[in-house]
Amino acid sequence: MSKPDCTTPVAAPPAMEPRAAPYTGRLRLRRLTGSWVPAVLIVLVLLGVWEGYVRLWAVPKWLLPAPSVIAMTLVVSWELLLDHTLVTLLEVVVGFALSLLGGVLLACGIAGSRTLERALYPFVIASQMVPIIVIAPLLLIWVGYGLTPKLIVVALTAFFPIVVNMVDGLKSVDPDAVNLLRTMGASRWQIFVKVQMPTSLPFLFSGLRVAMAVSVIGAVIGEWMGSSQGLGYLMIRSKPQFLTERVFAAIVVLSAMGVALFALVGVVEKLAIPWWHNEQRQRSLSQEE
Amino acid sequence: MKRVACNEPAEVWGDAKVRVEGVSKHLRQHGQPFAVLQEVDLYANAGEFVSLIGPSGCGKSTLLNIIAGLDQPSSGTLYLNGRRAEQRLGTVGYMQQKDLLLPWRNVLDNVILGLELRGMSRRLARARALALMEQFGLKGFETAYPYALSGGMRQRAAFLRTILPEQEVFLLDEPFGALDALNRAQIHEWLLGLWETLHKTIVLVTHDVDEAIFLSDRMYVMTARPGRVQLVQVIDLPRPRRLEMVTTAHFVALKARLLAALRQERAAEYKDGKR
Repeated sequence: MSKPDCTTPVAAPPAMEPRAAPYTGRLRLRRLTGSWVPAVLIVLVLLGVWEGYVRLWAVPKWLLPAPSVIAMTLVVSWELLLDHTLVTLLEVVVGFALSLLGGVLLACGIAGSRTLERALYPFVIASQMVPIIVIAPLLLIWVGYGLTPKLIVVALTAFFPIVVNMVDGLKSVDPDAVNLLRTMGASRWQIFVKVQMPTSLPFLFSGLRVAMAVSVIGAVIGEWMGSSQGLGYLMIRSKPQFLTERVFAAIVVLSAMGVALFALVGVVEKLAIPWWHNEQRQRSLSQEE
Repeated sequence: MKRVACNEPAEVWGDAKVRVEGVSKHLRQHGQPFAVLQEVDLYANAGEFVSLIGPSGCGKSTLLNIIAGLDQPSSGTLYLNGRRAEQRLGTVGYMQQKDLLLPWRNVLDNVILGLELRGMSRRLARARALALMEQFGLKGFETAYPYALSGGMRQRAAFLRTILPEQEVFLLDEPFGALDALNRAQIHEWLLGLWETLHKTIVLVTHDVDEAIFLSDRMYVMTARPGRVQLVQVIDLPRPRRLEMVTTAHFVALKARLLAALRQERAAEYKDGKR
């Protein structure tokens, strides 16, 4: 008999209950206070203080517009803001995608080969030592005023956290798991795809969240260096006109966009590596017991 | 100098599935070479259950790593199926101490890993695994992820993953170490039932004398570092083994003999001032 025969009466081992997740009222309260409620409260209080200060001391609009005035600007100039938002959004999304692609490829090369690591890592680090403010004007000279220089600035700022995190992730693989696959006759490529890549994903997503945040900053810097559209351009143009409320409106939209994109990365992460979150939750629950 | 004892059966090297001949392993630590294994001879016949027992640090795991092909001996030869085997990776099933279930795969996809690596389609591999879920006490947990499983279930999933690729030889490195005594006893009987239907060769590393006697056909007692074979003991208890046997006079006599060998080893260790 060469293979296990399931018709042979071999007693099944005793069944054991999987660990049940405890869920108490105390936890529910903690979950509420641990959510967005405190953040919203803080924002509301700050806005109230701001509004009161501006009104009581009659601060001029060009110096510091009240939140209500900014809100009004958002409503009145929504079309203008939307046009510029879409431009910036495009720069952020495409630049981020480029840095994701380049960053992951670079990380795979660095983690996969000692030679590549020695050859490339110094340049990866050096790229972050040169201030982007210095590079951006040069890019204008080299590639002009279009979309390209913005994409380059975004990609340059965003690829770094992706590479660093991904390399750490690829290297954090459990050597015993690698050995297990080797005893099963796995090739180097199979080990990479079946163990190293999945191990690195939680690290990659940490990097992606940072990358998404700096992408937005990168896009604005790119626009400040020279452009004819985008939220960064709108700010630059509104400031000398003393349209301070419009600068603030642009900042509000930009922050909202950043937060939304950041949250989007979180959503994708939950969908892409659900096992990671379940494991984390299980761990924190068993610690609270 | 070999101290292989007495009672080996006659057809020693004949149709051995695994044969380890004069294997030594030297490592370097702080620039100083030291021997982990010294001239180890060992074999396991087809369908035989062999145990390796010895004080911790005697190189048992190193020996299994060498048999599995993860490591090469400094000197000596390995034979699989009677043939000299330099390249052994992928030919021997190896279950390490840790269950090493991949957290991103559910139970079903974890156990088919070996089949998948050999190029079998996932659909076919899953079908094959599903047929064995009940026997391994994993029925109903096919789609559960490792973090949700008890220690025993994780261990059985790891075991199913080890045997699914249908290798001839399985190496088990202290697979029951993490289980409590009650679960261990149950798992032992279950494992023997399974082994009798599989007709495979098993080499088990353990530090538990009772466990080794209860499960094995033959036992190798190893010395402390450097690891050498100190005693080979045939366990001639009748099969199928039953839990009641652990209190029979014969079992106790075997245990006394093996414990004496282990104790002698420990005494030598103290005398040499190694600890």
